[in-house]
Amino acid sequence: MASDVRLTRALPYAVVGASAAYLYYVAANFQYHARAGTLGPDFWPKAILILAFAACVYEIAKIVFSGGRAQDVGGVLEDLVEKGAEKHADAGPAAMPTENHPWLLLASMGATLLYVVAVPVLGFFLATTVYLAAFMVIGGYRRPRVIAAVSVIGTLLLLFVFMKLVYVSLPIGREPFLQVTLFLMQIMGIR
Amino acid sequence: MEGILGNLAVGFAHVFQPVNFLALVIGIILGLLVAVLPGLTLVMGVVLALPFTYTMDVIPAIILLTAMYISGTYAGAWTSILFHVPGEPIDVPLLWDGYPMARKGEAAQALGWTLLSAFAGGMVAAVVMVLLAQPVARIALTFSTPEYFAILFFGLSSVVSLGGSSLANALISLFAGLLIATVGVDETYGTHRFTFGVPLLSDGIDYLVVMVGAYGLGEVFLRMEQGFKSAPLEAMDKIRTRLPRLREVLAAKMTFLRGSACGIIVGLVPGAGATVSSFLSYGIEGQYGRRRRKLGTGIPEGIIAPQTAATASVGGAIIPLVTMGIPGSGATAIILGAFLLHGLQPGPQVFQTSSHIIYAMFASVFVGIIVMCVIGYFATKYMVKVLEFPEVIISAYVVMMCILGAFAARNNITDVWLMVIFGIIGYLFERFRFPITPLVLGVILGPLAESSFMTTMISYGNDWTVFFTRPISGPIMLVGLLTLLYPVYRRLHHKTRGRRVSRISE
Repeated sequence: MASDVRLTRALPYAVVGASAAYLYYVAANFQYHARAGTLGPDFWPKAILILAFAACVYEIAKIVFSGGRAQDVGGVLEDLVEKGAEKHADAGPAAMPTENHPWLLLASMGATLLYVVAVPVLGFFLATTVYLAAFMVIGGYRRPRVIAAVSVIGTLLLLFVFMKLVYVSLPIGREPFLQVTLFLMQIMGIR
Repeated sequence: MEGILGNLAVGFAHVFQPVNFLALVIGIILGLLVAVLPGLTLVMGVVLALPFTYTMDVIPAIILLTAMYISGTYAGAWTSILFHVPGEPIDVPLLWDGYPMARKGEAAQALGWTLLSAFAGGMVAAVVMVLLAQPVARIALTFSTPEYFAILFFGLSSVVSLGGSSLANALISLFAGLLIATVGVDETYGTHRFTFGVPLLSDGIDYLVVMVGAYGLGEVFLRMEQGFKSAPLEAMDKIRTRLPRLREVLAAKMTFLRGSACGIIVGLVPGAGATVSSFLSYGIEGQYGRRRRKLGTGIPEGIIAPQTAATASVGGAIIPLVTMGIPGSGATAIILGAFLLHGLQPGPQVFQTSSHIIYAMFASVFVGIIVMCVIGYFATKYMVKVLEFPEVIISAYVVMMCILGAFAARNNITDVWLMVIFGIIGYLFERFRFPITPLVLGVILGPLAESSFMTTMISYGNDWTVFFTRPISGPIMLVGLLTLLYPVYRRLHHKTRGRRVSRISE
């Protein structure tokens, strides 16, 4: 097995293992007044972190020493499901080529993070309308009228349902965007 | 028995109150739609409905989510049979006989068998659920903290060893969940654990935020990476359901019984829900069925076995949820969340303090199955039309519902940040084959496991052997350990047998 493939396979475990080691250090420094004969608040998280670290070390060692020959120990019933699916592979759902669009993924993640930053400033209506439209465009939908209609009408519906019926106080935004939300709330009879 | 029937009658009275019945019908319709859409899973659907229950009373909230859970195990079969597109992983076995039946011009009969199987499996499991719940709760009342810890240990072990494709990944996922559950101020010492100076983390991380992020947003990110696409649908002019004759039903009675028993038992086991029961039941039919050699060629037994088991697993999964407060699957974890949101902790005491709520839930399973079948009989043709709806639009609204669900829990934007972070973590977990369910169950059951463990340690002078020496907790711990080690044994056994076979062939 090529070393870069091994590295790729081992990387998630290395990241998790390193995180576990750091969190163990944090847990070892919890501030509390120890009571004689009683386990402290650090015992449980430290025990979990040791087990997590051990699992990561085991997986890394398996990848390093066994490489491609190492097979995962799978769940019992998972085996059963896989066997059933293999037996009837020809009757399975029509296989479609698996595509990979990392840029779409990154764009959608970025848009979602941007939305969370923007919603307290722009208010729910403006931020959500723009976000929904952007998400559909990123997802490859190319019918502008449908996108506009679905974004605006859907957001108004969500605003009405959550603020008027479910009584959730959604972000109303800051000036000057606040005026847009207040205007819509007035029209919908939301106080 | 009289007590149970009396309580059930009160439950039915609750279900038929207009608001509760409306919640049930809406839940059934939403569950059917979620099951039909390939982009939405049953668990995602129930997660997305959760924010709407925040301001509801507890009974309609529980009825709505339970109804979605029931019907979510049924409608995916329609698209498997008619279009060769399974709505849920549960419905994959329906492709093997359901679709060939449709190809032979027996689509109406196949849909009829599906409806009858969902009805029979659901009803048998509902009866078993009602009969078993109170006795199980009575036994659970005698449990002390070591027994509770042992049950949680067994539950989490089975989630790890039954479910995932890699035992180590499932374990890491579970540990991550248990660790997330420790964030916040410790109840005994008042110590800040993993709060990193962020005030909101002092209250801990709400498991709803983890669930919504990992199950909902994570799945959308994954589908976005793969590109939204729809399987081409075959034109289907006449979609109708023809129920089988009594003579045909009686000929297949053993398949119904096997499927129901399989669904109930698998439903009881944490971590193994409707999907596993559906595949397992099909496998059992292939081993013991009267017409096992014809399985896969388009015979009703190939529909009855998986569908009966899938719907029956709902009744099985509800038993540990209400009697011990232990959810065994993603959907029951969300229903547990709805209980907790309304200040109700499921467990053995709940039968004494709030039995009307539990029996309303039980009654809603019976009524829900009937409503589901009525809607299924008349509305299949119209409901499968949602498949024509662009998946990207549905996904955009799934993300919105995730955001609103996280925000509405505490009216706090920090929860939305956390949800997005768990969405990204959920995506990474899926991408690198770390199962989500152990993570979520770890977050939910972590506090209970820690408090049971710590209380036992305080009560028994830090003697951990107590878990293994007490008459009830000992065997449960042993079974838990064996459950955890069984996949390793199986792997070693297969390896040794493989070597022996290759040596003989040489």
